[in-house]
Amino acid sequence: MEIVVAVKPVPDAETRLRPAPDGTRLDPAGVKWVLGGYDESAVEQALLLREAGAATAVRAVTVGPAPRGEEVLRSAIALGCDRATWVETPADAALDGIGIARLLGFAIAKVPHDLVLVGKHAGDDESGIVGPALAELLGIPSFPAVVDLRPEAAARGFRFQEALDGGTVRVEAAPPLLVALQQAWNDPRTAKLPNILKSRKATIDRVAWNEASAAVGPTPGGLARPTRFRLPPPRTGARMIPYKTPEEAATALVRALRDEAKVFP
Amino acid sequence: MTRPVWVVVERTGDRPVDAVGEAIGLGRSMGASVRALDVGPASATVDAALAAAGASGIVRIPPPPGTPLTGAVWAVGCLAALPPEPAIVLVPSTVRGRELAGRLAAGWDAAVATGVVEAGAPDDGTVHVSRPIFGGRATEELDLTGPRAVVAIRPHAFPANGTPTHPETTEVPWPSGTAVPAARLGPFEPAASAQGPDLADASIVVAGGRGVRSAENFRLIEELAAAFGAAVGASRAVTDAGWRPTAYQVGQTGKSVTPQLYVAVGISGAIQHLVGMMSSRVIVAINSDAAAPIFKVADYGVVGDLFALVPALTAEVRRARSGPGA
Repeated sequence: MEIVVAVKPVPDAETRLRPAPDGTRLDPAGVKWVLGGYDESAVEQALLLREAGAATAVRAVTVGPAPRGEEVLRSAIALGCDRATWVETPADAALDGIGIARLLGFAIAKVPHDLVLVGKHAGDDESGIVGPALAELLGIPSFPAVVDLRPEAAARGFRFQEALDGGTVRVEAAPPLLVALQQAWNDPRTAKLPNILKSRKATIDRVAWNEASAAVGPTPGGLARPTRFRLPPPRTGARMIPYKTPEEAATALVRALRDEAKVFP
Repeated sequence: MTRPVWVVVERTGDRPVDAVGEAIGLGRSMGASVRALDVGPASATVDAALAAAGASGIVRIPPPPGTPLTGAVWAVGCLAALPPEPAIVLVPSTVRGRELAGRLAAGWDAAVATGVVEAGAPDDGTVHVSRPIFGGRATEELDLTGPRAVVAIRPHAFPANGTPTHPETTEVPWPSGTAVPAARLGPFEPAASAQGPDLADASIVVAGGRGVRSAENFRLIEELAAAFGAAVGASRAVTDAGWRPTAYQVGQTGKSVTPQLYVAVGISGAIQHLVGMMSSRVIVAINSDAAAPIFKVADYGVVGDLFALVPALTAEVRRARSGPGA
């Protein structure tokens, strides 16, 4: 059984957010692109399954421009992925989630993909669209918020728990399937220096944009177009409640929440 | 041209989730007819809820008995009923609703956005939406172009418009020849904190952090939450220490929440926590350290000993909620 992990370069958590000059999206200037937290979880999950003997190989796949598309794949290889596929997009291709899913589907359909792993969502746009859309395009079931994925001992398949709104469901499912990892329950490993060095020379399979772009359809960029990137008005800091006794603080706070903020009761 | 609106019904037990009523309200504000699209067995309770919420019609697609309602199966049912003509589909932006939105957009060739908190469909043929990104640290506005759009709305972001209707129910047969992928779903097990509302869906969240100091003391947080009728959350320090399970965790590696009111108790405000709660409408912080970063994002702050403040606040909230003027 072979595993494909779809990953996405996202801005580092420390990135200073500001709009690009045209105001429609995040200013990419100076952004450090990394493998996101949920994606690290997905890679870790794939490696654990391979180490448990449930999978023979793990391939990381990404869609993105140079150099960050390549860099995020080298990070995945340094963590232990065996192979990688890169759909290199033009720097100015602002693809929506469905466009990315179509490109991923085009690349993944060419390789064995008994299990496709993705993070629950990317840490930047937080859409959660690409995984399920990819599953629909590949014609396989998807499970959107999985924790505790383990190989099924008895049969060729998996057992896991889905963390839905308000509760959980236990699932047994057979490949091929797509699983989105809910959170970092598996404590992702960090890459060791010799592996980082080796990953720089690893071969990355390329899917040419000319060949792949037909998969996006006739609309360059896709149907969802960003028109504005805005930041919330700066929070000016908390209004501090003065008090002499805890009871006085409680009374003042409840009054403020009820009469001023109108959130309660 | 006003496009017809379809609202996909997500059920919990034998009733639609709250966001279904909110989606129907939004659909009606777009000036269109709103049909509820329900993949599930006939249910008088669901029909009554959809009528009360203002649906103009109900389209029901009962799956073959015993079929596990995975996202793939749900999408097969929806795609059997949705027309190829221009339309807008609204779904709840829950875990399952978001999955459905992605599958429908791919299968129905539509533009899609999830986690939407503002939406409008003017006559220019696009749907304008806005949605928080980067854990609420920024907002993106999108134009959903093309004839078909799928919009997943964040629970509690839109008001329900409860002008009741008398919708007719039409049944659409399950499409023949569709392969149902093999999966076995166990029963739905409600989260352990079943007394209160669900964390992701709650309009008030009370969360505790390292300052609470022990698993036993965390009871104080739960009592305050119970007084508010709130869900209970925790910072990573709490779940890492094993005081409460990871399901309680709010933040980068836990849940993102956007309640009307977020009360942070003994939480210093590391960025990893802030990204999960910063888009809450009103934030209250209670912390012994006046320099804690949480006070920079909070609207109201109380500096002091939480072990004295929280019981006093719990008592005051109980009083306020039971009072005649409440």
